[in-house]
Amino acid sequence: MRIRAAVSAALASAGILLVGWQSGVHVADTRSAVAAAATGNQASGAGTTDSSGTASSGSAASSGTTDSSGTAGASGGAGAAGAAAKAGGTYDGDVVQTRFGTVQVQITVKAGQITDVTALKLTDAEGRSVQISNYAAPILRSEVLQAQSADVQTVGGATVTSDAYLTSLQAALDAANL
Amino acid sequence: MQQTSEPRLRARTFTCMGTVISLTVSADAHKAPQAAADELEAATAVVERLFTELDSIFSLYRPDSEASRLVRGELALPEASGEMRARYEEAAEWRLLTEGAFTPERPDGALDLSGIVKGHAIREAGMSLLALGMANWCLNAGGDVLVGGSPNPGTDVPWRAGIVDPADRRTLLAGFPLGGAAPCSPVGKTADGGTRVALATSGSAERGDHIWSVTAGTAEFRQVSVAAVDVVTADVLATAIVAGGVPMLNRATAMWDIEALAVRANGELLATGGFRR
Amino acid sequence: MNTQLLPSPGTGTPMRPDRRPAPVRETGRFAGQHRGRLVRADALPVTAWSSLAASVALWLADGGLTAASSPAGLVTALGIVAGLAGMDLVLLMLLLAARIPFIDGAVGHDRALEFHRKLGKPSLYLLLAHGLLIAVGYGMAEGLDPVSEAVALWVLVPDMWLAFISLALFIAVVVTSLVAVRRRFPYEFWYAVHLLTYAAVLTSLPHQFSVGGLFAAGTWQRWYWLVICIATGAALLYYRIILPVRATFRHQLTVERVTSVAPGVVNIEMSGLQLGSLAGNGGRFFIWRFLAPGLWWHPHPFSLSAEPVRTGPDGQGRLRVTVRGLGRGSAQLLRLRRGTRVAIEGPYGLFSSAARSKDRVVMIGAGIGITPLRALLETTPFDPGRATVLLRGHSSQELYLGEEILELCRQRGATLFHLTGGRDPGSPDSWLPAAEHLAGYALADYVPEIAHADVYVCGPSRWAGNVLNAARAAGVDEDQLHHERFDW
Repeated sequence: MRIRAAVSAALASAGILLVGWQSGVHVADTRSAVAAAATGNQASGAGTTDSSGTASSGSAASSGTTDSSGTAGASGGAGAAGAAAKAGGTYDGDVVQTRFGTVQVQITVKAGQITDVTALKLTDAEGRSVQISNYAAPILRSEVLQAQSADVQTVGGATVTSDAYLTSLQAALDAANL
Repeated sequence: MQQTSEPRLRARTFTCMGTVISLTVSADAHKAPQAAADELEAATAVVERLFTELDSIFSLYRPDSEASRLVRGELALPEASGEMRARYEEAAEWRLLTEGAFTPERPDGALDLSGIVKGHAIREAGMSLLALGMANWCLNAGGDVLVGGSPNPGTDVPWRAGIVDPADRRTLLAGFPLGGAAPCSPVGKTADGGTRVALATSGSAERGDHIWSVTAGTAEFRQVSVAAVDVVTADVLATAIVAGGVPMLNRATAMWDIEALAVRANGELLATGGFRR
Repeated sequence: MNTQLLPSPGTGTPMRPDRRPAPVRETGRFAGQHRGRLVRADALPVTAWSSLAASVALWLADGGLTAASSPAGLVTALGIVAGLAGMDLVLLMLLLAARIPFIDGAVGHDRALEFHRKLGKPSLYLLLAHGLLIAVGYGMAEGLDPVSEAVALWVLVPDMWLAFISLALFIAVVVTSLVAVRRRFPYEFWYAVHLLTYAAVLTSLPHQFSVGGLFAAGTWQRWYWLVICIATGAALLYYRIILPVRATFRHQLTVERVTSVAPGVVNIEMSGLQLGSLAGNGGRFFIWRFLAPGLWWHPHPFSLSAEPVRTGPDGQGRLRVTVRGLGRGSAQLLRLRRGTRVAIEGPYGLFSSAARSKDRVVMIGAGIGITPLRALLETTPFDPGRATVLLRGHSSQELYLGEEILELCRQRGATLFHLTGGRDPGSPDSWLPAAEHLAGYALADYVPEIAHADVYVCGPSRWAGNVLNAARAAGVDEDQLHHERFDW
């Protein structure tokens, strides 16, 4: 009887751990995909990579809507984007449960390249998912808000020492307004 | 927005904390030029005194400052001034929130609150300006910006800030609208309808080793700019992202209502929606 | 005549057992009950291990392994796992001490408490490791030494100061529970400190839900944890407070009279209402509190020494415990006044018919341990000739309730042996009087078919241990041995 208890306990525990581990691996996969996208090249923006590369960054971008400690499960994203990459158009990704709420991703594909990734559905869980769509994605220089030194009123930059200030753009602005 | 209707801006500068602080105000058309000039002089004096006082407490370049005495061990933190303890507490809280990416200690263990003091000084100065009844102004302390109102008094036009290109400091990498009500530019708005009035930028190759990298090694980002409703948040998170790399960037954009623009070491960019055209 | 009472001791004649091998035929009436109990007894460790695995699986399912890639992350991860496992063990400990009928009926009260004690140190070590590893792990991530990190956690993170207090309380509880320390303090002090466990668990709860990212709002892990915490609390509240209070009000017990059985041993007879529901628990014990000044807070674990006797039409009746004035509290019981109200908890324990697995039954008792056997003998089912009672004492005066037991044996057809006389000082492992021991008698000589019987043993722990060993030597299976510890 002791043996029966020991075997059952071992099997049950192993089973539970296995299930936990499996769902954890799932989380881990998407998480590393997030990291890959974040650390990856500017694939989605530049559109210079092949369709599979674009697809993976599409999946990553869709799941990259959470912070590093969060989870997202856009596992279907890669496949959807892969298929979409060949066809072109707008595609809805899987509805994915994250700890921030429910997320569905829409991918816009033009000429085999993902041109836009939008979060379609955000269910508010404790107000945290509101910010889920806010994440930093690779972007081309030509795509950022542009500014010419002639039409800004102030200039931000990494800490400028008093010496460097003398030759800085801010100094020129200040001088003009003295 | 024609150049002719552009209001006249007046600026004053002074040097403190090893950098140059500029205060720019937009002159109200209804005010006498001399009154406006006097008002700017008075405001600059207030701001300068505030910066100088904080510098005298926190500067590690002044051997007689309280911070230097702490570092030398002549003073223990519990005996330090309320100001010092308050800043330490604030910095320690940020360390927890950023999971250590932002830290008030140098790698050698010495206390270094300079990462939070400049932001704090700007925040206090902004409050003083509002207390003085000034509505439209732009305060730039060594590249960290806090604005009030609009450059065009009486309108919702935001201040336009440029961000220098770390590769070429004579050119601008990007722009960002600060303050104003920005009705036609929703990116300047936060989720709860507030307006981002602060923009802070941190770099990995300025002023020696000012930012300690958690991932010991060459920094992933050359420069990080963060726009937020509050200048300390912007400043601390910009510092933290430079030190903590992409994980910290993702964490910051998910946890705080900010816009971020990060420049990788190889010049590539990562940006949140607010920095997109 | 199946009752066999051999000549009383003092004559120097050892009691001669009658060697009669009996054919073994099982009716199997206890087989189903026995199998069910073994399944339940096996279900307990399986449930316990599964819950432990589940607490780790919660973390694995959250992708915990990915966070453990850096040294700091690894230390923090180990800390989190230690905290989860430690809290799980604490909940298991509370459940084991909650006197839940399922657990009590499967392994008995004393075995449940034994497991409870065994979990004490592992859970404390896990919780200590949790605190240390978290401080070190967070500290590594922030470039802080663990002490500064701990201070920062205390000061800056909400609810963490409660967690620190909780850890201190846990340490206090386990240290005072350690047997060595326990012996230096009176039982009451240890009991009071033990109540701090509840404070320790309660103060640990806030930080688990507010600081632990694993249990962030909206996660299924949070629900799981909430449910097990609340279920444990509800079990404690129900079985340790609500049920006893209800039983006390229901039965309205008052002391009827206290009569002397032998020097220092008294029968306490109590009258009350609806005692029918307490019948059939012969051998199981209740926890009694006599609500008199100076006595009310002292819990006494006593078995019924007789089945409740009905005296009135509405379930009014009388019941009885037999007590020896040994402990400080027990001595005062000898002077209980008539009319003293009595609070009751129970019945608890597995020293009853519920533990039966065979048709035959052997009851072996010594000293005051004879009294629970008296009640068991009264009710436990057996056919005439299939029960044997062995009573052991220094003298016949110490065979408490011996007359009543003899009468019951006559009525029900049980074989009775009185084994009186001093021990053989040269044989500390013997349970028999010196004369019988030297004459070479063993347990199987008194009960030839003992290997096919349930053996109930009640008496001083050292002696009982000797009896159990003798029974094992006679071929009695561990599942057939039933022993109630009275020295806890």
